[in-house]
Amino acid sequence: MTLILTQDEESLRDSVRRFVADRSPLTKLRDLIGSGQPYDADVWKQLSAQLGLAGLIVDEEHGGAAAGLSALSVALYELGAGLVASPLLASTLAAAALGSLGDQAASGALLPGLASGELIGTVAWQPAVTVAATASTAAGGCTLAGQLSPVLNGAQAHFLLVPANGPDGLGLYQVAGDAHGLTSEPLTAVDHARSLATVRLDGTPAVRLTGDAAAALAHVADVANLALAAEQCGAMAACIAMTSEYAKIRVAFGQPIGAFQAVKHKLADMQTGWELAYAALRAAARSGDETPGQFSAAASVARVMVSEPYFEAAADTIQLHGGIGFTWEHDAHLYYKNALSGKVLFGGPQDQLDRLAATLGM
Amino acid sequence: MTDDFRERARSWLAANAPRRSSSEDDAESAGSAERVRTGIAEQQEFQARLYDAGFVGITWPKEYGGQGLTNAEQIAFSAEAREYELPVGAFVIGIGMPGPTILECGNEQQKKRYLPKMLRGEEIWCQLFSEPGAGSDVASLQASAVRDGDTWVLNGQKVWTSGAQYSDFGAVLARTDPAQPKHKGISMFIVDMHAPGVTVRPLRVATGHAPFNEVFFDNVRLAPDALIGEENRGWDAAVVMLRNERIAIGTMTQPRSSPLAYDSLRKLADRLGRAGDQGVRRELASLYAREQSVHLLGQLIREDAMAGRFPGPRGSVIKLAGAELGRYATQVAADVLGPQVAAADSDDVRAVQISIVAVPGGAIAGGTNEIQRNIIGERMLGLAKDPGVDRNTPFNQLRVGTQRSAKESS
Ligand SMILES: Cc1cc2nc3c(=O)[nH]c(=O)nc-3n(C[C@H](O)[C@H](O)[C@H](O)COP(=O)(O)OP(=O)(O)OC[C@H]3O[C@@H](n4cnc5c(N)ncnc54)[C@H](O)[C@@H]3O)c2cc1C
Repeated sequence: MTLILTQDEESLRDSVRRFVADRSPLTKLRDLIGSGQPYDADVWKQLSAQLGLAGLIVDEEHGGAAAGLSALSVALYELGAGLVASPLLASTLAAAALGSLGDQAASGALLPGLASGELIGTVAWQPAVTVAATASTAAGGCTLAGQLSPVLNGAQAHFLLVPANGPDGLGLYQVAGDAHGLTSEPLTAVDHARSLATVRLDGTPAVRLTGDAAAALAHVADVANLALAAEQCGAMAACIAMTSEYAKIRVAFGQPIGAFQAVKHKLADMQTGWELAYAALRAAARSGDETPGQFSAAASVARVMVSEPYFEAAADTIQLHGGIGFTWEHDAHLYYKNALSGKVLFGGPQDQLDRLAATLGM
Repeated sequence: MTDDFRERARSWLAANAPRRSSSEDDAESAGSAERVRTGIAEQQEFQARLYDAGFVGITWPKEYGGQGLTNAEQIAFSAEAREYELPVGAFVIGIGMPGPTILECGNEQQKKRYLPKMLRGEEIWCQLFSEPGAGSDVASLQASAVRDGDTWVLNGQKVWTSGAQYSDFGAVLARTDPAQPKHKGISMFIVDMHAPGVTVRPLRVATGHAPFNEVFFDNVRLAPDALIGEENRGWDAAVVMLRNERIAIGTMTQPRSSPLAYDSLRKLADRLGRAGDQGVRRELASLYAREQSVHLLGQLIREDAMAGRFPGPRGSVIKLAGAELGRYATQVAADVLGPQVAAADSDDVRAVQISIVAVPGGAIAGGTNEIQRNIIGERMLGLAKDPGVDRNTPFNQLRVGTQRSAKESS
């Protein structure tokens, strides 16, 4: 297993990086905060259609690039570094669930739209949270009831994949975003780059998908770990770059603050944390494509190695900038909020350790 | 190609390598991979067989006794070797530090004369840098070498010299021009540890073992070909060696059976019925994650080197990460063992106990954690250097170590 990037991955990285710098700099996120929009529709169109990021893990038969999880992680790393708001994570997890289930009809109906970016999908589920929806069958077909929260892009999704307990046990159900009896209520997300909602289902028509629902959810949790680890690793690198730049130009007591060891050593620890996280991320990404049997543990390791260190690094980014770092105008708080949100979504630090311990047979 | 090599390594190791050496030996490996008690002769015998099988000096050039292969083979071998505790501790320093320095800075004659024997374990090497007054600030060293005809005469004292008690040669830093600022008047030499005037006295460390020594040089006459690199440019060679040292220590493959490794602590937790405790489970999982990541970072650094991106100061990252991993493992071990960590009643617990005592050495040997953080901050992130108030003063006017003033020592 080779950890370093292939040439294809390097060029994908470069084009996403260029795209973020040109089309979606951090000022874009500030525009979104002002407008109340969850993401910029043009940016999403370009990301999905032009750069093809929405179809990276969708197979070719369904219009995707079948580029694999490693390529996905390379793209998400760059988007994370730039805090680009988009429904890419939500749609990618929906694609991962469908890919794992292997329900022919659902895949045929949904994957091409996901791959092109025309459809937004989401998995209405958080690992380590008990499944809250129940399914019942009546003459007219199957309906779901329950409350799901928080659901990633729950207010924008064209369809939701909902785990629910029914007469035949756990199943994954497909629900249309505008289905009867479905209400979604946007939540106040701490991270401006992430849109979350509470979704209520009440007699909502649904289709039960064929395939192993438990295995699909486990796969979703693994892909979520990899995806979040990639975003967070990129964002952590951005914090380190921003802070070391500032430590070179800000002068106090007659020298650049980076000359003070209290500052220098904190940055060195951030850098060391990033290097370890990045190595773990690369291993998880490759494992997802090449050694699926080890993917779950590797993805947990990556997530464990980055979620908390990134949160610490984001807090230290504010600290090492002093007063200016605490202002609304400075970008540091955008990362801090992103780090907080990314730490707890799809399994917080303790859940991750429990999950890893279980994978390791403890 | 690599697959064949890996397969060959796997079967050779299965047939020839001991699974596990005695627990007493493990304790010292945290600091410097010393395994004095295994017996030097036994280690040399094993090293020779390992070398003859083609698994030593894997990336070194063929003309100097190496295998002339790539980092891919080195990675493959390290991965296989992780399942064992190879009795090769005596050679880690030579091959990791003076060896690469001679490869990079030495002359043709030195490379041909010393490297093949170093690889095969026929001659053992040590690194003579630190002195009582110069450790982190090693450029403050006071040992001196004075030219006499076509050779030099060496005087002074070194300290914390790992393996000096069984070494045949050492790479020594000595001052050759005290009128120059401290970094400018230093040279690096090869010293024969059996030469007249060399005295080695073992020093005991916290674990009770004596892996390192103080070494006295009393008018030791060096060989005419002793100088590595140029006279008074020894600091350049020292930087090469220290860079190699960090990478060697940082990417050293920790055997799975080390007492503080995840595998060992997990087994202990199972045996002591502690694995059901949620706190212990989480700590073990966290240890696994950290250990994996240090291991993977070592692989990443090697792959990058293979792709032409040389590690440079990144060696400090992995050296620091390894030391921090050790520190975290002590916490996990204490929680797994509970009161037993204070009072061992079995060999495996005793091994953990000794390893915990050995851990602080890992954060000092090869450059302290603080020095690694300085290097990462300054050379990776480009932060302002420490002002270095003594950089331009002639050495003979400086105060070093714990001297009260320069005059008292001169
Ligand atoms: C197990 C072991 C094996 C060793 N083997 C060898 C060997 O084979 N050969 C050899 O030559 N040496 C060897 N050493 C010595 C080792 O390299 C030194 O001990 C080390 O570099 C620290 O130097 P010192 O002991 O003089 O401590 P000092 O340099 O006096 O440091 C004391 C404290 O001050 C801190 N400090 C010093 N300078 C700075 C700074 N600029 N910024 C922030 N903090 C600073 C240090 O981090 C440390 O905490 C070994 C040491 C150990 C523990």
